[in-house]
Amino acid sequence: MILPHYPGQQEAIASAAGQAVALRGLTKSFDGRRVVDAIDLDVPTGSFFGLVGPNGAGKTTTLSMVTGLLRPDAGRAIVAGVDVWADPPAAKARMGVLPEGLRLFERLSGPEMLSYLGRLRGMPAQVVKDRATELISVLELADAGNKLVADYSTGMRKKITLAAALLHSPRVLLLDEPLEAVDPVSARIIRTVLSRYTAAGGTVVFSSHVMALVEDLCSHVAVIAAGKIIASGHLAEVRGSAASLDDAFLHLIGAADVGEGGLSWLGSSQA
Amino acid sequence: MVGIFASLKWRLVTSRLRATSGATRIWMIVGFVVAVAFVGLITVGLAALRSVPEAATPVVVTLFVVQLVAWVLSPLVAFGVDETVDPHRFALLPIRPQILQRGLLTASLIGYLPLANMVILFGAAVAIGVPWSVFPVALVCAVVQLITCVVLSRAASTSMSALMTSRRGRDLGMAVGFGIFVLYMGFVTLLNSGGDQTGVPAGASSLASALAWTPPGALASVPSLIAAGQLAKAGLAVLIAAATLALAWWWWSVALARSLTTVPSATAGSSPAGRGHEGHAVAIGVVGTMEVVAGRDRLLVWRDPMRRMPWLMIALLTILYPFLIVRGQGAVFAVAFGALLVGAQAGNQYGVEGSGLWLHLQTISDRVRARGEVFGHALAAIVPGTVILLIAVAIQAVWHDDYDKIPAALGVCFAALLGGIAVACFVSAAIPYAMPQSRTSLFASSVPGQKGRTFAASLSVLLGGAVIAVPAGIATVLSLTVAPVWGWVSLLLGLAVGGFALWLSSRLTADRYLERAPEIFAVVSAGDRV
Repeated sequence: MILPHYPGQQEAIASAAGQAVALRGLTKSFDGRRVVDAIDLDVPTGSFFGLVGPNGAGKTTTLSMVTGLLRPDAGRAIVAGVDVWADPPAAKARMGVLPEGLRLFERLSGPEMLSYLGRLRGMPAQVVKDRATELISVLELADAGNKLVADYSTGMRKKITLAAALLHSPRVLLLDEPLEAVDPVSARIIRTVLSRYTAAGGTVVFSSHVMALVEDLCSHVAVIAAGKIIASGHLAEVRGSAASLDDAFLHLIGAADVGEGGLSWLGSSQA
Repeated sequence: MVGIFASLKWRLVTSRLRATSGATRIWMIVGFVVAVAFVGLITVGLAALRSVPEAATPVVVTLFVVQLVAWVLSPLVAFGVDETVDPHRFALLPIRPQILQRGLLTASLIGYLPLANMVILFGAAVAIGVPWSVFPVALVCAVVQLITCVVLSRAASTSMSALMTSRRGRDLGMAVGFGIFVLYMGFVTLLNSGGDQTGVPAGASSLASALAWTPPGALASVPSLIAAGQLAKAGLAVLIAAATLALAWWWWSVALARSLTTVPSATAGSSPAGRGHEGHAVAIGVVGTMEVVAGRDRLLVWRDPMRRMPWLMIALLTILYPFLIVRGQGAVFAVAFGALLVGAQAGNQYGVEGSGLWLHLQTISDRVRARGEVFGHALAAIVPGTVILLIAVAIQAVWHDDYDKIPAALGVCFAALLGGIAVACFVSAAIPYAMPQSRTSLFASSVPGQKGRTFAASLSVLLGGAVIAVPAGIATVLSLTVAPVWGWVSLLLGLAVGGFALWLSSRLTADRYLERAPEIFAVVSAGDRV
């Protein structure tokens, strides 16, 4: 009998050399439905990596398993050479995380939250203070002063979470929809900070369903649909001969002519 | 249009029953039967007052006033219970305000609560409709009372709906909830203080005669005034009641029009945190982590009403309750009950963050920090808890001249406090449960589907804390029966056993948390949706 081959820990880590993030057979089911189906993925160190796919494709589930928030049913997630589920403290020290739709410590102000999280990571209080002040000024959150995070707008929340993710200078950033529902000014600030981070040698993995954004920002891209990776590599490779990433994406997931047919009554209302 | 509102509300009311099945449905039906029996009992009791006419009117006057106050305040305390309360749900539909108002009134009258009120009011009408010739008048008064309650309640909640969608408004709602709790405690204390048996009815009837000229009170006294032939007074009472209803209706229409045409700002009206508190402790080792975590908890207890209000309630209960349950000497020992409640404050330490727990999952992933976190949360409960207990024991000792019982009482209290906290910490990791994060009500403590879990966790904290206090309790018994020196043994035992329990709990809790963190996170994140 031939069993499916799941790599052992050492083997998986060895195969992940040179990769900032490596997923090996990562799997998760909810109620018998495979939401993430044995994903293998390599994210090269120093890349700006876009994870794209329609709603419900498994992007958030995958990122949650990589960040240690959701236990996988099978497979391994290796971040900066450390197996996330075998050695969580080491892995979590090397990653910065921005999840989607989760609360923060709402009754702290932005500076208080950064100070708390930095000191909780064991960083000296003065270093935390200096870095937090710099992050807050670069991310243009200084105007918020001591406002509670509960009263922040969506863009401000994303920015303070990004500040918390960058505070300990991690090697990899894992961002779930960092620019979703963010105003253009905040979006530009976030994009600039992320570009500076990758220019300094950091790796960014981020999920999105806005193709133009991914095409604009990313060096690499992976397309995920129905829990499987259906294309992955350099942006140019995935795009291929298509006019845009959008076209290539719709072709890949087999939804090229959606929204056609029917609705002939539309626009005929007399009211 | 009114019919559509009525059928919509009817579907909302019945869908809860239709959505359940099996055991849940049976328990719901049992609950209904109990509620019906309870309401029936009140109604029969009220109707029986008919034979005591001199008591009937004062009682019904008080009932009408309390009922109206309850209707007006309840949306502030438990906002969002009724989906038809929020006019914004209808803002985009092409409905004229007058029709909307009539529709909302109809919808508001359909439901379990209005039905129960209707039945009770029928009993009240029987009580005050003496002789039977004025019973129809009493019945009309009861109907007007119900409509006034609903209209005023809706007017208040509509004008507050913009406020209640903001953080500060909900914080205010929590403060009002606490105020109601204080009123309740005061009421109970008053009743229990007993005193002169003849004084109480006299006080109550003079209160009722003052209340008789408030709008609901006036309504309740109309039948007896007519029966007594005091038609001028009756006319005045009718005028007061009618004017109130008309004003309430007008207030509601104005509030409705305003709330349908203005968009509440999500961020305006929010307040800054005041001076920032950034702290200097660093999480190196268990002690450092404890300092960092306890520093944040202390800040949040001051700042977050969801954490502050329970402490105020506990302080009140711990200090007042011994007076209520124990008369005379020995009341110092009743303070131990408060100690258990303080212990419970360290409970569900992961659930209280909601999905914000992910920030701790990212930063607290080794055993040293996990233990430090447990000690940090424990410390944040031990410090205020100790202050409350010392004050409560001191008050009881001074009041009853019970100084010799202080060591034994402190022994039991510290054992219950530390033991309760120890168990609460472990139960936080073993039986975590979600806490509603929308803060719509101070009294909402569990989310749908986790009621059993919440109950099991709370019960094990109280029982576990009591068990850990047993050695100190035995020494206390010996101090009362054998020799007073056992009181000091009780104090030592309480601190030693409680302290050991906490030390052990920190290890077990940390292991459990590190093992099950993603599962704990999944359970407590459900609090975001409520």
